Amino acid sequence: MVLEIRNVSKTYPGAAQPALSDVSISVPAGQFLVILGPSGAGKSSLMRCINRLVEPTSGQVFFENKPIMGDLRAIRRQFGMVFQQFNLVKRLSVLTNVLSGRLGYRSVARSLFYSFPESDKQIAAECLARVNMEHKAFQRADTLSGGEQQRVAIARALAQQPKVILADEPVASLDPKIARQVLGYLRQVAKELGITVLCNLHQVDYAREFAERIVGMSRGRVVFDGLAAQLNEEVLNRIYYATAEEQAA
Amino acid sequence: MAVGVSAPGIDLLEDLRARKRWRLHHIALAGAIVAFLAWCADGVNLRPGEVAGALPAIGEYFARMWPPKWEFSEVLWKPALETLYIALWGNVIALFIGLPLGLCAAGNVVRSRLVRNTAKAILNLLRSISELIWAVFFVAAVGLGPFPGALALGVNFGGILGRLYAEALENIDPGPVEALAATGASRLQIIAYAMLPQALPQFVTYNLYWFEVGVRSATVLGMVGAGGIGFELVTTIRLFEWRETGVVLLLILAMVTVIDLASTYIRGRIYGS
Amino acid sequence: MTVAGVLAAEAQRRREGFRRALLWSTGALALLWFTAAQIGLNPAALVRGVPFMLDFFGRMFPPDLAHLALLRDATVETVQIAVWGTLIAIVLSIPLALLGARNTTPHALVFHATRMFLNALRSINELVFALIFVAAVGLGPFAGVLAIALHATGMLAKFCAEEVEGVDRGPIEAMRATGAGRLQVILFGIVPQVVPAFVSYSVYRFDVSIRAATILGLVGAGGLGFSLIKTMKLFLYHQTATCILVIFVLVAVSDWLCARIRARIL
Repeated sequence: MVLEIRNVSKTYPGAAQPALSDVSISVPAGQFLVILGPSGAGKSSLMRCINRLVEPTSGQVFFENKPIMGDLRAIRRQFGMVFQQFNLVKRLSVLTNVLSGRLGYRSVARSLFYSFPESDKQIAAECLARVNMEHKAFQRADTLSGGEQQRVAIARALAQQPKVILADEPVASLDPKIARQVLGYLRQVAKELGITVLCNLHQVDYAREFAERIVGMSRGRVVFDGLAAQLNEEVLNRIYYATAEEQAA
Repeated sequence: MAVGVSAPGIDLLEDLRARKRWRLHHIALAGAIVAFLAWCADGVNLRPGEVAGALPAIGEYFARMWPPKWEFSEVLWKPALETLYIALWGNVIALFIGLPLGLCAAGNVVRSRLVRNTAKAILNLLRSISELIWAVFFVAAVGLGPFPGALALGVNFGGILGRLYAEALENIDPGPVEALAATGASRLQIIAYAMLPQALPQFVTYNLYWFEVGVRSATVLGMVGAGGIGFELVTTIRLFEWRETGVVLLLILAMVTVIDLASTYIRGRIYGS
Repeated sequence: MTVAGVLAAEAQRRREGFRRALLWSTGALALLWFTAAQIGLNPAALVRGVPFMLDFFGRMFPPDLAHLALLRDATVETVQIAVWGTLIAIVLSIPLALLGARNTTPHALVFHATRMFLNALRSINELVFALIFVAAVGLGPFAGVLAIALHATGMLAKFCAEEVEGVDRGPIEAMRATGAGRLQVILFGIVPQVVPAFVSYSVYRFDVSIRAATILGLVGAGGLGFSLIKTMKLFLYHQTATCILVIFVLVAVSDWLCARIRARIL
């Protein structure tokens, strides 16, 4: 197991309900796992508990059989993250954005001068080529369309040479044709490089199309864990429509 | 209010009428404001008669400046350029003072409340004291001339710009900041790659604008011996050489207008790209 | 483009960028060096002046709080000057802004004349106006009010004129279509769009005026400035400290108040 989430719970300060309740998931290496659920289900919180952008209230996350703690920098660079809003630095070029994925490996002093070693530039250019964006390497990030920006964001995550990619609603802002293209890139590249992918989605049809395995979440709990083929009416009800009382049953 | 079924139009009219009626507290508020203004006016000797008398007096003094004594401009070039240099160096010094303090004062850059509040307090102190007072201080410390003028401008504007930089930094999009944190970048790297690039256009705008303001401020620093055209200006007024004063004022006007145009052009180039 | 192509292009851009940066920075440094020499920038003199500055600050503490009572009138006067200076500026700048905006001015000549006039008001520092007005109407806060009013009018009117020029065309066209006259279009179509920004900027101008009013005393135009300069020249540094403290608090209060008001408006 490359990733083991054990009994993770999270309650935000001042919140009435916990965002996550006793979530346990084991992820084998190389899997494309989709976490499916409505907004507010806790998908984003779960993802951020993995790379410690958010601290879980209780429970532990194990990466390659070691608990995640201590030097966050060294851990985070093994997790690439892709966001719904792309989160590229708009004024910087596409290439610089991808290069910034290497920052976790570089000493602070040299990187402050925007200077990267040749090896990093090689990696960045290759990652851009994998998502077919190398022809726009020198354009400013905000001149690109949504789908293109997300592909660059994927390249940035790839530049980290991560073991795991965490994709938090990567296509929620994109229209269907572009969304499928982006998810396609994500799946293909992960397969080629053997990267494990955890992908938060709320769209059922994308989940069916792209996932090997689906974990359904609702109100901070795991309510389903199985193959895409097992996603039937009853399961979807549990995820999307059941009330809290029905779920507790 | 009518109970039960009633035509909506009638309720609306009643509502409008109710709004238009002058409430007691509105009248009291208006009265208080008028009283306040009257008290202020009394304090500054502002009386209608005075104002009516003042305008012709002022007009007469401006009339004495015409025609301007153009020959006087010969001795004005050096001080005029000096004024520009003071404004330039004033802004450079302001950048060196304002940028580090501004970074320390920004809520998303520095975690420590103590550091932030200290930086904000220093910035506030620097900006509250007028540059003219700083100039008097620096003239006493380093002697007469444009150098203390630049220092004074630098210190005062450093406080102003520092606060503006901090605000610009706090208003950036937090998304890229989170993204870079997720890649394992260190705090300093995040500041350099996600925060500063976003805030940079604002920084440039502020610096251009305050350079303009700096030129206008630098024109009076000479009054306290801190260089620039202010000295000539004050001297001509004190010696009642109004036609020479006119030339100085026109020169200042010309300088500021040119800077204004140049600044608009530069801003156009930056935002056009 | 291939990966190798990207790398080659990047290397070339880096070289070009480096060259351009070198050129610009050499130019900038040359300019700074030249101007530094012209104004006698002298770090050594600054260092030498440090003992004086420390001595000055040392002598300022503790501030002479008994002096506060004497400053009360001057402080009040400073605020009053700022209030009326800004008020007059607001009243004057409304018509001037309308005359100085391309879409509301009656004639091109009027437009240009107004703009030139406003530029003149803006370029001249309040202190310079104060000097002239003190000669014209005598010492005291009255000259100060007029000085602040004129300079602020220039700034406020130009700002307002730019706002007027930038209004949304849609509502204006709609009003014209209903047959409204020119003045009505201005009053009901343009003015409401401009009011929030205008009020916000007026409040900002008041804040700036308070700051300016604190130094008008230097030329005899009223306010705290006179006391400040006098105590400095007489080496009564404990009282200078009190003055600075009062100015600091005044500006801080004004800042806070103005920020709150502007937040409520926008």
